[in-house]
Amino acid sequence: MSEEHKQPLQSSLRVQELVYGLRISEVMTSKVFAVSRNCTMRDVQTIMKNNSITGVPVVDNKRVVGIVTMNDLMNALEQGAMEHNVTKWMVGEVQTLAEDMPLSFAISAFGKFSFRQFPVVNKKNELTGILTFRNINHALIRELSRQLREMEQKNEQPEEPESLKFSKVYQLNRYDFENGGKASSEIKKFLKERGVPPKLVRRVAVASYELEINLVAHSIGGMLGFDINENRVKISSHDRGPGIADTEKALTQGYSTANEWIRSQGFGAGMGLPNVKRVSDEFAIESALGMGTMVQAIINLKPETENENK
Amino acid sequence: MELQRIAHALDAEFICGPDDWEKINIETVFASDLMSDVLMSDRDELLLITSLSTEQSIRSAGIVGSEAIVIANNKTVTEGMIELAQDQDVALFCTSHPKYEACVRLGRIMEP
Ligand SMILES: Nc1ncnc2c1ncn2[C@@H]1O[C@H](COP(=O)(O)OP(=O)(O)O)[C@@H](O)[C@H]1O
Ligand SMILES: [Mg+2]
Repeated sequence: MSEEHKQPLQSSLRVQELVYGLRISEVMTSKVFAVSRNCTMRDVQTIMKNNSITGVPVVDNKRVVGIVTMNDLMNALEQGAMEHNVTKWMVGEVQTLAEDMPLSFAISAFGKFSFRQFPVVNKKNELTGILTFRNINHALIRELSRQLREMEQKNEQPEEPESLKFSKVYQLNRYDFENGGKASSEIKKFLKERGVPPKLVRRVAVASYELEINLVAHSIGGMLGFDINENRVKISSHDRGPGIADTEKALTQGYSTANEWIRSQGFGAGMGLPNVKRVSDEFAIESALGMGTMVQAIINLKPETENENK
Repeated sequence: MELQRIAHALDAEFICGPDDWEKINIETVFASDLMSDVLMSDRDELLLITSLSTEQSIRSAGIVGSEAIVIANNKTVTEGMIELAQDQDVALFCTSHPKYEACVRLGRIMEP
Protein backbone atom coordinates (compact mmCIF):
# COMPACT_ATOMS: atom_id res chain seq x y z
CA MET A 1 0.00 0.00 0.00
CA SER A 2 1.37 3.41 -0.94
CA GLU A 3 1.49 6.68 0.94
CA GLU A 4 -1.35 7.98 -1.18
CA HIS A 5 -3.79 5.75 0.63
CA LYS A 6 -4.33 8.14 3.48
CA GLN A 7 -7.95 8.34 4.50
CA PRO A 8 -9.44 11.31 2.66
CA LEU A 9 -11.45 13.82 4.63
CA GLN A 10 -15.19 13.48 4.74
CA SER A 11 -15.37 16.85 3.10
CA SER A 12 -13.84 15.48 -0.06
CA LEU A 13 -17.10 13.58 -0.56
CA ARG A 14 -18.88 16.90 -0.46
CA VAL A 15 -16.52 18.38 -3.01
CA GLN A 16 -16.89 15.29 -5.15
CA GLU A 17 -20.67 15.57 -4.96
CA LEU A 18 -20.44 19.21 -5.91
CA VAL A 19 -18.22 18.74 -8.92
CA TYR A 20 -20.65 16.11 -10.18
CA GLY A 21 -23.81 17.81 -9.10
CA LEU A 22 -23.18 21.28 -10.39
CA ARG A 23 -23.60 21.90 -14.09
CA ILE A 24 -21.25 24.24 -15.92
CA SER A 25 -24.23 26.49 -16.70
CA GLU A 26 -24.75 27.08 -12.96
CA VAL A 27 -21.19 28.22 -12.45
CA MET A 28 -20.18 30.11 -15.60
CA THR A 29 -20.47 33.84 -16.22
CA SER A 30 -23.44 34.25 -18.52
CA LYS A 31 -22.74 37.86 -19.30
CA VAL A 32 -20.14 37.28 -22.01
CA PHE A 33 -18.21 39.95 -23.82
CA ALA A 34 -17.81 38.69 -27.36
CA VAL A 35 -16.83 40.38 -30.60
CA SER A 36 -17.80 39.69 -34.21
CA ARG A 37 -15.41 38.94 -37.06
CA ASN A 38 -15.29 42.52 -38.27
CA CYS A 39 -14.17 43.98 -34.94
CA THR A 40 -10.58 45.14 -34.50
CA MET A 41 -7.93 44.24 -31.98
CA ARG A 42 -8.43 47.74 -30.58
CA ASP A 43 -12.06 46.83 -29.76
CA VAL A 44 -10.85 43.75 -27.94
CA GLN A 45 -8.32 45.76 -25.98
CA THR A 46 -11.02 48.16 -24.84
CA ILE A 47 -13.28 45.32 -23.72
CA MET A 48 -10.49 43.60 -21.83
CA LYS A 49 -9.39 46.76 -20.12
CA ASN A 50 -12.83 47.94 -19.09
CA ASN A 51 -13.96 44.60 -17.76
CA SER A 52 -10.70 43.08 -16.45
CA ILE A 53 -10.98 39.93 -18.53
CA THR A 54 -8.29 37.95 -20.28
CA GLY A 55 -10.11 36.26 -23.16
CA VAL A 56 -12.77 37.42 -25.62
CA PRO A 57 -14.59 34.93 -27.89
CA VAL A 58 -15.19 35.83 -31.51
CA VAL A 59 -18.66 34.87 -32.70
CA ASP A 60 -20.43 34.58 -36.00
CA ASN A 61 -24.18 34.17 -35.71
CA LYS A 62 -23.78 33.17 -32.04
CA ARG A 63 -21.31 30.36 -32.99
CA VAL A 64 -17.83 30.59 -31.56
CA VAL A 65 -15.33 30.90 -34.40
CA GLY A 66 -12.31 31.95 -32.41
CA ILE A 67 -10.95 33.48 -29.23
CA VAL A 68 -8.61 36.39 -28.65
CA THR A 69 -6.54 36.08 -25.50
CA MET A 70 -4.25 38.51 -23.73
CA ASN A 71 -1.38 36.79 -25.48
CA ASP A 72 -2.77 37.46 -28.97
CA LEU A 73 -3.37 41.05 -27.98
CA MET A 74 0.25 41.50 -26.86
CA ASN A 75 1.48 40.09 -30.14
CA ALA A 76 -0.73 42.44 -32.14
CA LEU A 77 0.37 45.36 -29.99
CA GLU A 78 4.01 44.52 -30.55
CA GLN A 79 3.47 44.50 -34.32
CA GLY A 80 1.47 47.72 -34.20
CA ALA A 81 -1.51 45.87 -35.61
CA MET A 82 -4.25 47.13 -33.33
CA GLU A 83 -6.43 48.19 -36.25
CA HIS A 84 -6.34 44.70 -37.79
CA ASN A 85 -9.43 42.53 -37.81
CA VAL A 86 -9.61 40.08 -34.92
CA THR A 87 -9.68 37.23 -37.45
CA LYS A 88 -6.00 37.90 -38.20
CA TRP A 89 -4.93 37.33 -34.61
CA MET A 90 -7.48 35.11 -32.95
CA VAL A 91 -6.94 31.43 -32.26
CA GLY A 92 -9.34 29.67 -34.58
CA GLU A 93 -9.69 26.21 -33.12
CA VAL A 94 -11.41 26.87 -29.84
CA GLN A 95 -11.92 24.30 -27.14
CA THR A 96 -15.44 24.89 -25.84
CA LEU A 97 -17.40 23.24 -23.04
CA ALA A 98 -21.04 22.18 -23.19
CA GLU A 99 -23.20 23.98 -20.64
CA ASP A 100 -24.95 20.84 -19.38
CA MET A 101 -21.70 19.03 -18.59
CA PRO A 102 -20.89 18.46 -14.93
CA LEU A 103 -18.37 20.76 -13.36
CA SER A 104 -15.90 17.90 -13.00
CA PHE A 105 -15.44 17.86 -16.78
CA ALA A 106 -14.52 21.51 -16.71
CA ILE A 107 -12.00 20.88 -13.98
CA SER A 108 -10.42 18.10 -16.06
CA ALA A 109 -10.34 20.46 -19.04
CA PHE A 110 -8.45 23.07 -17.06
CA GLY A 111 -5.99 20.38 -16.06
CA LYS A 112 -5.57 19.12 -19.60
CA PHE A 113 -5.29 22.38 -21.51
CA SER A 114 -3.42 25.42 -20.34
CA PHE A 115 -6.22 27.84 -21.23
CA ARG A 116 -7.38 30.39 -18.72
CA GLN A 117 -10.99 30.34 -19.87
CA PHE A 118 -13.35 28.25 -21.92
CA PRO A 119 -16.27 29.55 -23.96
CA VAL A 120 -19.42 27.63 -23.01
CA VAL A 121 -21.96 26.60 -25.63
CA ASN A 122 -25.49 25.17 -25.60
CA LYS A 123 -26.85 22.19 -27.54
CA LYS A 124 -27.17 24.32 -30.66
CA ASN A 125 -23.50 25.20 -30.32
CA GLU A 126 -24.31 28.83 -29.52
CA LEU A 127 -22.20 30.80 -27.09
CA THR A 128 -23.98 31.08 -23.72
CA GLY A 129 -21.19 31.86 -21.28
CA ILE A 130 -17.58 31.77 -20.34
CA LEU A 131 -15.93 29.74 -17.61
CA THR A 132 -12.77 30.67 -15.71
CA PHE A 133 -11.16 28.90 -12.80
CA ARG A 134 -12.29 31.77 -10.64
CA ASN A 135 -15.90 30.89 -11.41
CA ILE A 136 -15.22 27.37 -10.18
CA ASN A 137 -13.53 28.47 -6.98
CA HIS A 138 -16.34 30.85 -6.18
CA ALA A 139 -19.03 28.29 -6.81
CA LEU A 140 -17.31 25.67 -4.67
CA ILE A 141 -16.72 28.06 -1.79
CA ARG A 142 -20.30 29.28 -1.96
CA GLU A 143 -21.73 25.75 -2.00
CA LEU A 144 -19.40 24.43 0.69
CA SER A 145 -20.21 27.22 3.10
CA ARG A 146 -23.90 26.67 2.50
CA GLN A 147 -23.45 22.97 3.33
CA LEU A 148 -21.35 23.81 6.35
CA ARG A 149 -24.15 25.97 7.71
CA GLU A 150 -26.59 23.13 7.17
CA MET A 151 -24.28 20.70 8.93
CA GLU A 152 -23.86 22.99 11.91
CA GLN A 153 -27.60 23.11 12.28
CA LYS A 154 -27.87 19.34 12.04
CA ASN A 155 -25.05 18.71 14.54
CA GLU A 156 -27.17 20.12 17.30
CA GLN A 157 -29.10 16.85 17.31
CA PRO A 158 -26.99 13.91 18.61
CA GLU A 159 -26.40 10.96 16.22
CA GLU A 160 -27.78 7.52 16.95
CA PRO A 161 -25.17 4.73 16.92
CA GLU A 162 -27.50 2.36 15.05
CA SER A 163 -28.20 4.95 12.40
CA LEU A 164 -27.73 4.13 8.74
CA LYS A 165 -26.43 7.60 8.07
CA PHE A 166 -22.95 7.28 6.67
CA SER A 167 -20.73 8.76 4.04
CA LYS A 168 -17.21 7.97 2.99
CA VAL A 169 -14.88 8.35 0.02
CA TYR A 170 -12.30 5.77 -1.01
CA GLN A 171 -9.36 6.52 -3.30
CA LEU A 172 -8.42 3.93 -5.90
CA ASN A 173 -5.25 3.78 -7.96
CA ARG A 174 -4.64 2.30 -11.36
CA TYR A 175 -3.93 -1.44 -11.38
CA ASP A 176 -4.06 -1.61 -7.60
CA PHE A 177 -6.01 -4.86 -7.63
CA GLU A 178 -4.96 -5.60 -4.10
CA ASN A 179 -7.13 -2.81 -2.75
CA GLY A 180 -9.93 -3.10 -5.29
CA GLY A 181 -12.79 -4.51 -3.27
CA LYS A 182 -11.87 -3.11 0.13
CA ALA A 183 -14.49 -0.41 0.01
CA SER A 184 -17.20 -2.86 -1.02
CA SER A 185 -16.33 -5.24 1.80
CA GLU A 186 -16.42 -2.44 4.34
CA ILE A 187 -19.77 -1.14 3.14
CA LYS A 188 -21.17 -4.65 3.04
CA LYS A 189 -20.20 -5.15 6.69
CA PHE A 190 -21.63 -1.81 7.71
CA LEU A 191 -25.02 -2.60 6.15
CA LYS A 192 -25.08 -6.18 7.43
CA GLU A 193 -24.36 -5.09 11.00
CA ARG A 194 -27.29 -2.71 10.84
CA GLY A 195 -29.69 -5.43 9.82
CA VAL A 196 -30.21 -4.48 6.18
CA PRO A 197 -31.73 -7.52 4.38
CA PRO A 198 -29.03 -9.74 2.76
CA LYS A 199 -30.51 -9.38 -0.73
CA LEU A 200 -30.14 -5.61 -0.58
CA VAL A 201 -26.66 -5.82 0.94
CA ARG A 202 -25.66 -8.07 -1.91
CA ARG A 203 -26.93 -5.66 -4.55
CA VAL A 204 -25.02 -2.78 -2.99
CA ALA A 205 -21.88 -4.90 -2.69
CA VAL A 206 -22.04 -6.13 -6.28
CA ALA A 207 -22.55 -2.63 -7.70
CA SER A 208 -19.77 -1.09 -5.68
CA TYR A 209 -17.37 -3.97 -6.31
CA GLU A 210 -17.80 -3.79 -10.08
CA LEU A 211 -17.25 -0.04 -9.96
CA GLU A 212 -14.14 -0.48 -7.82
CA ILE A 213 -12.74 -3.02 -10.25
CA ASN A 214 -13.44 -0.69 -13.17
CA LEU A 215 -11.58 2.11 -11.40
CA VAL A 216 -8.46 0.02 -10.88
CA ALA A 217 -8.71 -1.79 -14.24
CA HIS A 218 -9.74 0.95 -16.64
CA SER A 219 -9.12 4.38 -15.13
CA ILE A 220 -5.93 6.20 -14.30
CA GLY A 221 -7.28 6.53 -10.75
CA GLY A 222 -10.32 7.92 -9.06
CA MET A 223 -12.62 7.76 -6.11
CA LEU A 224 -15.61 5.81 -4.97
CA GLY A 225 -18.04 7.65 -2.70
CA PHE A 226 -20.83 6.27 -0.56
CA ASP A 227 -23.69 8.28 0.79
CA ILE A 228 -26.05 6.21 2.87
CA ASN A 229 -29.25 7.04 4.73
CA GLU A 230 -32.34 5.11 5.88
CA ASN A 231 -33.86 5.29 2.43
CA ARG A 232 -31.09 4.51 0.02
CA VAL A 233 -27.44 3.85 -0.72
CA LYS A 234 -25.89 6.17 -3.25
CA ILE A 235 -22.62 5.03 -4.84
CA SER A 236 -20.66 7.46 -6.96
CA SER A 237 -17.58 6.55 -8.92
CA HIS A 238 -15.53 9.33 -10.32
CA ASP A 239 -12.19 9.19 -12.13
CA ARG A 240 -9.73 11.44 -13.89
CA GLY A 241 -9.58 9.61 -17.20
CA PRO A 242 -9.21 8.33 -19.86
CA GLY A 243 -13.00 8.39 -20.28
CA ILE A 244 -15.29 6.30 -22.46
CA ALA A 245 -16.01 7.27 -26.07
CA ASP A 246 -19.39 5.55 -26.29
CA THR A 247 -21.11 4.86 -22.98
CA GLU A 248 -23.98 3.00 -24.63
CA LYS A 249 -21.52 0.54 -26.09
CA ALA A 250 -19.78 0.17 -22.74
CA LEU A 251 -23.15 -0.80 -21.27
CA THR A 252 -23.68 -3.69 -23.69
CA GLN A 253 -23.01 -7.12 -22.26
CA GLY A 254 -19.75 -8.52 -23.50
CA TYR A 255 -18.17 -5.25 -24.57
CA SER A 256 -14.76 -4.90 -22.97
CA THR A 257 -11.42 -3.28 -23.66
CA ALA A 258 -9.75 -5.15 -20.80
CA ASN A 259 -6.21 -6.37 -21.45
CA GLU A 260 -4.88 -9.88 -20.92
CA TRP A 261 -3.72 -9.15 -17.43
CA ILE A 262 -7.12 -7.94 -16.27
CA ARG A 263 -8.64 -11.05 -17.85
CA SER A 264 -6.19 -13.25 -15.99
CA GLN A 265 -7.62 -11.78 -12.79
CA GLY A 266 -11.07 -13.13 -13.68
CA PHE A 267 -12.47 -9.86 -14.98
CA GLY A 268 -12.88 -8.21 -18.35
CA ALA A 269 -15.87 -10.15 -19.64
CA GLY A 270 -17.73 -6.93 -20.28
CA MET A 271 -20.45 -7.65 -17.76
CA GLY A 272 -19.53 -5.17 -15.05
CA LEU A 273 -21.47 -2.08 -16.03
CA PRO A 274 -24.53 -4.06 -17.19
CA ASN A 275 -24.44 -5.80 -13.81
CA VAL A 276 -24.24 -2.51 -11.91
CA LYS A 277 -27.25 -1.30 -13.86
CA ARG A 278 -29.10 -4.54 -13.19
CA VAL A 279 -28.77 -4.34 -9.41
CA SER A 280 -29.45 -0.59 -9.17
CA ASP A 281 -32.77 1.18 -8.83
CA GLU A 282 -31.30 4.25 -10.43
CA PHE A 283 -28.26 4.29 -12.66
CA ALA A 284 -26.46 7.03 -14.54
CA ILE A 285 -23.19 7.19 -16.39
CA GLU A 286 -21.47 10.14 -17.93
CA SER A 287 -18.17 10.21 -19.70
CA ALA A 288 -16.13 11.94 -22.36
CA LEU A 289 -12.89 10.86 -23.92
CA GLY A 290 -9.93 12.60 -22.39
CA MET A 291 -11.97 13.80 -19.42
CA GLY A 292 -13.12 11.11 -17.08
CA THR A 293 -16.00 8.87 -16.20
CA MET A 294 -18.60 9.12 -13.52
CA VAL A 295 -21.14 6.54 -12.57
CA GLN A 296 -23.88 6.90 -10.04
CA ALA A 297 -25.84 3.95 -8.73
CA ILE A 298 -28.68 4.20 -6.23
CA ILE A 299 -30.15 1.26 -4.36
CA ASN A 300 -33.31 1.88 -2.37
CA LEU A 301 -33.46 0.38 1.10
CA LYS A 302 -37.12 0.98 1.90
CA PRO A 303 -39.50 -1.72 0.68
CA GLU A 304 -42.16 0.77 -0.43
CA THR A 305 -39.72 2.48 -2.76
CA GLU A 306 -37.87 -0.67 -3.73
CA ASN A 307 -38.29 -1.91 -7.25
CA GLU A 308 -39.81 -5.38 -6.86
CA ASN A 309 -38.37 -7.05 -9.94
CA LYS A 310 -34.78 -6.18 -9.23
CA MET B 1 -26.41 -30.59 1.86
CA GLU B 2 -23.95 -30.15 4.68
CA LEU B 3 -20.60 -28.65 3.80
CA GLN B 4 -18.86 -31.52 5.58
CA ARG B 5 -20.21 -34.02 3.04
CA ILE B 6 -19.13 -31.83 0.17
CA ALA B 7 -15.63 -31.42 1.55
CA HIS B 8 -15.37 -35.16 1.95
CA ALA B 9 -16.52 -35.88 -1.60
CA LEU B 10 -13.97 -33.44 -2.97
CA ASP B 11 -11.09 -34.74 -0.82
CA ALA B 12 -10.85 -31.08 0.09
CA GLU B 13 -8.44 -29.75 2.65
CA PHE B 14 -9.97 -27.33 5.14
CA ILE B 15 -7.90 -24.15 5.40
CA CYS B 16 -10.00 -21.79 7.44
CA GLY B 17 -13.62 -21.02 8.25
CA PRO B 18 -16.15 -20.51 11.02
CA ASP B 19 -16.17 -22.98 13.94
CA ASP B 20 -19.36 -24.70 12.86
CA TRP B 21 -18.44 -24.97 9.19
CA GLU B 22 -19.27 -28.66 8.96
CA LYS B 23 -22.95 -27.95 9.47
CA ILE B 24 -23.27 -25.11 6.97
CA ASN B 25 -26.03 -25.88 4.49
CA ILE B 26 -25.15 -25.58 0.80
CA GLU B 27 -28.03 -25.52 -1.69
CA THR B 28 -26.36 -24.38 -4.86
CA VAL B 29 -22.90 -24.66 -6.34
CA PHE B 30 -21.30 -22.29 -8.78
CA ALA B 31 -18.16 -23.23 -10.68
CA SER B 32 -16.32 -20.58 -12.65
CA ASP B 33 -12.99 -18.86 -13.14
CA LEU B 34 -14.75 -15.76 -14.38
CA MET B 35 -15.51 -13.49 -11.45
CA SER B 36 -17.85 -11.38 -13.60
CA ASP B 37 -20.07 -14.46 -13.95
CA VAL B 38 -19.97 -15.11 -10.23
CA LEU B 39 -21.12 -11.54 -9.60
CA MET B 40 -24.01 -11.88 -12.06
CA SER B 41 -25.44 -14.83 -10.16
CA ASP B 42 -28.51 -14.35 -8.01
CA ARG B 43 -28.68 -17.49 -5.91
CA ASP B 44 -28.25 -18.09 -2.19
CA GLU B 45 -26.18 -20.46 -0.08
CA LEU B 46 -23.54 -20.66 -2.68
CA LEU B 47 -20.46 -22.74 -2.79
CA LEU B 48 -17.93 -21.40 -5.25
CA ILE B 49 -15.53 -23.77 -7.01
CA THR B 50 -12.78 -22.04 -8.94
CA SER B 51 -9.27 -22.67 -10.13
CA LEU B 52 -8.53 -18.95 -10.02
CA SER B 53 -6.49 -18.71 -6.86
CA THR B 54 -6.44 -14.97 -6.20
CA GLU B 55 -7.56 -12.57 -3.50
CA GLN B 56 -10.23 -11.33 -5.88
CA SER B 57 -11.77 -14.83 -5.98
CA ILE B 58 -12.23 -14.65 -2.22
CA ARG B 59 -13.58 -11.11 -2.46
CA SER B 60 -16.04 -12.09 -5.16
CA ALA B 61 -17.25 -15.00 -3.05
CA GLY B 62 -17.68 -12.66 -0.11
CA ILE B 63 -19.49 -10.05 -2.15
CA VAL B 64 -22.18 -12.47 -3.34
CA GLY B 65 -22.49 -13.92 0.16
CA SER B 66 -21.01 -17.36 -0.54
CA GLU B 67 -20.60 -19.59 2.48
CA ALA B 68 -17.59 -21.44 1.13
CA ILE B 69 -15.02 -21.49 -1.63
CA VAL B 70 -13.01 -24.42 -2.95
CA ILE B 71 -9.80 -23.72 -4.85
CA ALA B 72 -9.41 -26.52 -7.36
CA ASN B 73 -6.48 -27.91 -9.29
CA ASN B 74 -3.98 -27.94 -6.45
CA LYS B 75 -3.39 -24.18 -6.69
CA THR B 76 -1.40 -22.47 -3.97
CA VAL B 77 -3.43 -20.52 -1.46
CA THR B 78 -1.71 -17.36 -0.27
CA GLU B 79 -1.62 -15.85 3.21
CA GLY B 80 -3.55 -12.85 1.89
CA MET B 81 -6.35 -15.10 0.66
CA ILE B 82 -6.64 -16.75 4.06
CA GLU B 83 -6.81 -13.42 5.83
CA LEU B 84 -9.50 -12.23 3.45
CA ALA B 85 -11.53 -15.42 3.84
CA GLN B 86 -11.47 -14.98 7.61
CA ASP B 87 -12.45 -11.35 7.30
CA GLN B 88 -15.30 -12.19 4.92
CA ASP B 89 -16.54 -15.18 6.93
CA VAL B 90 -16.09 -17.53 4.00
CA ALA B 91 -14.91 -21.12 4.61
CA LEU B 92 -11.85 -21.81 2.48
CA PHE B 93 -10.80 -25.20 1.08
CA CYS B 94 -8.45 -26.51 -1.53
CA THR B 95 -8.48 -29.72 -3.50
CA SER B 96 -6.08 -31.40 -5.86
CA HIS B 97 -8.93 -32.35 -8.22
CA PRO B 98 -9.35 -30.19 -11.30
CA LYS B 99 -12.48 -28.05 -11.42
CA TYR B 100 -14.35 -30.33 -13.82
CA GLU B 101 -13.55 -33.42 -11.77
CA ALA B 102 -14.72 -31.62 -8.63
CA CYS B 103 -18.03 -30.78 -10.29
CA VAL B 104 -18.56 -34.35 -11.43
CA ARG B 105 -17.97 -35.61 -7.90
CA LEU B 106 -20.44 -33.11 -6.48
CA GLY B 107 -22.96 -33.98 -9.15
CA ARG B 108 -22.82 -37.60 -8.06
CA ILE B 109 -23.54 -36.99 -4.39
CA MET B 110 -26.13 -34.29 -5.05
CA GLU B 111 -28.26 -36.51 -7.30
CA PRO B 112 -31.39 -37.63 -5.47
N1 LIG C 1 -13.90 4.02 -15.13
C1 LIG C 1 -13.71 3.72 -16.44
N2 LIG C 1 -12.84 4.44 -17.18
C2 LIG C 1 -12.66 4.16 -18.48
N3 LIG C 1 -13.29 3.15 -19.14
C3 LIG C 1 -14.17 2.40 -18.45
C4 LIG C 1 -14.43 2.64 -17.07
N4 LIG C 1 -15.35 1.74 -16.67
C5 LIG C 1 -15.64 1.00 -17.75
N5 LIG C 1 -14.94 1.38 -18.82
C6 LIG C 1 -15.02 0.83 -20.20
O1 LIG C 1 -16.23 0.14 -20.34
C7 LIG C 1 -15.98 -1.22 -20.70
C8 LIG C 1 -17.04 -2.11 -20.12
O2 LIG C 1 -16.96 -2.11 -18.68
P1 LIG C 1 -17.53 -3.35 -17.88
O3 LIG C 1 -18.94 -3.58 -18.32
O4 LIG C 1 -17.32 -3.15 -16.43
O5 LIG C 1 -16.70 -4.57 -18.44
P2 LIG C 1 -15.17 -5.00 -18.15
O6 LIG C 1 -14.70 -4.24 -16.94
O7 LIG C 1 -15.28 -6.44 -17.92
O8 LIG C 1 -14.39 -4.65 -19.37
C9 LIG C 1 -14.57 -1.47 -20.22
O9 LIG C 1 -13.95 -2.52 -20.91
C10 LIG C 1 -13.91 -0.15 -20.49
O10 LIG C 1 -13.57 -0.01 -21.84
MG1 LIG D 1 -15.75 -4.02 -15.22
